[in-house]
Amino acid sequence: MTTSNALLEIENLTIAFGPPDAPVVAVDQVGFAIRSGETVGLVGESGSGKSLTSLAVLRLTPPQARILGGRILFQGTDLLALPEAHMPAIRGRDVAMIFQEPMSSLNPLMTVGEQVEESILLHDDAAPDERRRRAIDLLRRVGIPDPATRLGSYPHQFSGGMRQRVMIAMALACNPKLLIADEPTTALDVTVQAQVLELMRAIRAATGTAILLISHNLGVVAELCERVVVLYAGRVVEAGRVRDIFKRPRHPYTRGLLEAVPRLSDTRHRLTQIPGSVPTPGSTGPGCAFAPRCPDRREICLASRPDLSGDASGHAAACWVQTEPSR
Amino acid sequence: MTPQPPLELDAAAAPPKAHALRGLLARQGVSTWLALATILVFVAIAVLAPFVAPHDPLAQSYLRINALPSSEHWLGTDQFGRDVLSRLVHGARNSLVFGLVSPVIAAAVGTTLGVIAGYFGGPVDRVISRLIDLLLAFPELLLAIMIAAALGGGFWNVVFVIAVAFVPGFARVARASTLAVRQEAYIESAIAVGLRTPMIIWRHVLPNIAAPIVVLMTLWVASAIRLEASLSFLGIGTRPPNPSWGNIIRDGLGNIFGSPWPIIGAGFAITAVVLAFNVVGDALRDALDPDER
Repeated sequence: MTTSNALLEIENLTIAFGPPDAPVVAVDQVGFAIRSGETVGLVGESGSGKSLTSLAVLRLTPPQARILGGRILFQGTDLLALPEAHMPAIRGRDVAMIFQEPMSSLNPLMTVGEQVEESILLHDDAAPDERRRRAIDLLRRVGIPDPATRLGSYPHQFSGGMRQRVMIAMALACNPKLLIADEPTTALDVTVQAQVLELMRAIRAATGTAILLISHNLGVVAELCERVVVLYAGRVVEAGRVRDIFKRPRHPYTRGLLEAVPRLSDTRHRLTQIPGSVPTPGSTGPGCAFAPRCPDRREICLASRPDLSGDASGHAAACWVQTEPSR
Repeated sequence: MTPQPPLELDAAAAPPKAHALRGLLARQGVSTWLALATILVFVAIAVLAPFVAPHDPLAQSYLRINALPSSEHWLGTDQFGRDVLSRLVHGARNSLVFGLVSPVIAAAVGTTLGVIAGYFGGPVDRVISRLIDLLLAFPELLLAIMIAAALGGGFWNVVFVIAVAFVPGFARVARASTLAVRQEAYIESAIAVGLRTPMIIWRHVLPNIAAPIVVLMTLWVASAIRLEASLSFLGIGTRPPNPSWGNIIRDGLGNIFGSPWPIIGAGFAITAVVLAFNVVGDALRDALDPDER
């Protein structure tokens, strides 16, 4: 997966919780790359390690989580090896993040303008007039009507969608090279979701920012991303271009996910579901973590863990079977 | 970029801060206004004591021992012939200064400790929390008596004593509030934006924990006045012959059958001020409740 022009390269990232002598591995040897201007989707169920992986890029993992190994190269610099004192200069300026709770991601006691201006000021010593002008411009860019007036509003006067727009405006304040969006639409109404997605697409077109989109919503990923990385139980089970993965998924888990998506044209009465449930971290045996739930399970699947292997197009899956879909 | 349709306009215009304050004041009941007025009157009396007091609070006279209230001495005189009203007026100075200064110092120290403990957690939190627990193990009055006994009386010693007795309470509240605020998504996003820790604490943590601290401060102004009165009553607070409400009661106790007026007057003053601060504290708590915003 290593590409020479990668903006962000995650290599063998391993994160564990719990005591050092009995670690519970939540992210296991995860690796993928994002090129400049590219949009990559990170897909997985709750607990698959997708949020933890994205938090590790900004070194925002909770204190209980220990990064056991791997590298996170941003423009060739290993972020995991940097002293903590250097991180604030990278956060926001090079890599910005949008969180999934727009309702609580803004300080309730500060006006929206103060918060947007704060993120401008952090990385750019602009004069107050200039800051205000840029804050208005940012709010206009994210589609907030009458931005000059709205600067003086408090977050509680904004709806969820509006707050997410403000969060996006703050993230864009310093023209980051990479925007990490952790489930940016999950907490929003469906109509507002569509607007926010449209906004992110427009921003990508205007700024050329690379986006790492974390989501469990395959529809959102299909709409916005060029490549997808599928995580299961802390491991990458499949990666590739969106088209390849949606048309020809190679890992039975990906297939299961796609079959579980409801479609309007569907004539089935019940949605297909993947039997069983996600294993808790640390409870997997020596074999493939998905094996207990897998419809195509073989003997080898329980005995040993498959590595990611793929073709020249970059479509890879970690599966011993890798059958073509039968649908 | 194409502007989005204004689908989500839920608040027509943003009210400036001044309007919010006016709305806050308009919502207060009569009792809050009465309490505020009481506090203001007492503060004015304390500030203007030399001009308000009809007599010298220290002037003794054998000719007027234990006089009953009269037009000359509104609350009579004590066993040394000193004018009770004048002593109360000057006593207000000591009592209110103790009452206001000690909680402010305690709040500053306690909040700093609590925020550090709550924000950084880990070993820092454990050390500070154990220290606080140690102080909390003693009742405030006992702690104050212990320190006062060790240091002796005197203005700054008493301020120090009361402040130390109150620090644990502020530290606990600040720590608990910080722990809650620390979990908020806006702290995480402030870190993600690249804000450095001192700025996060100053701009995002402190304003969001200010409400309970301010409320605690008003409530403890009342406690500080009470504590100073208790210490003075026990003879380790304000030193006689300087008047404070506490030692006026102490002096009056031995002479209760000679003249009850010192005890009645000082008792009334303490009750009124403590009650007023409690009422204002309650109103503040309601007004600053984040759920009301």
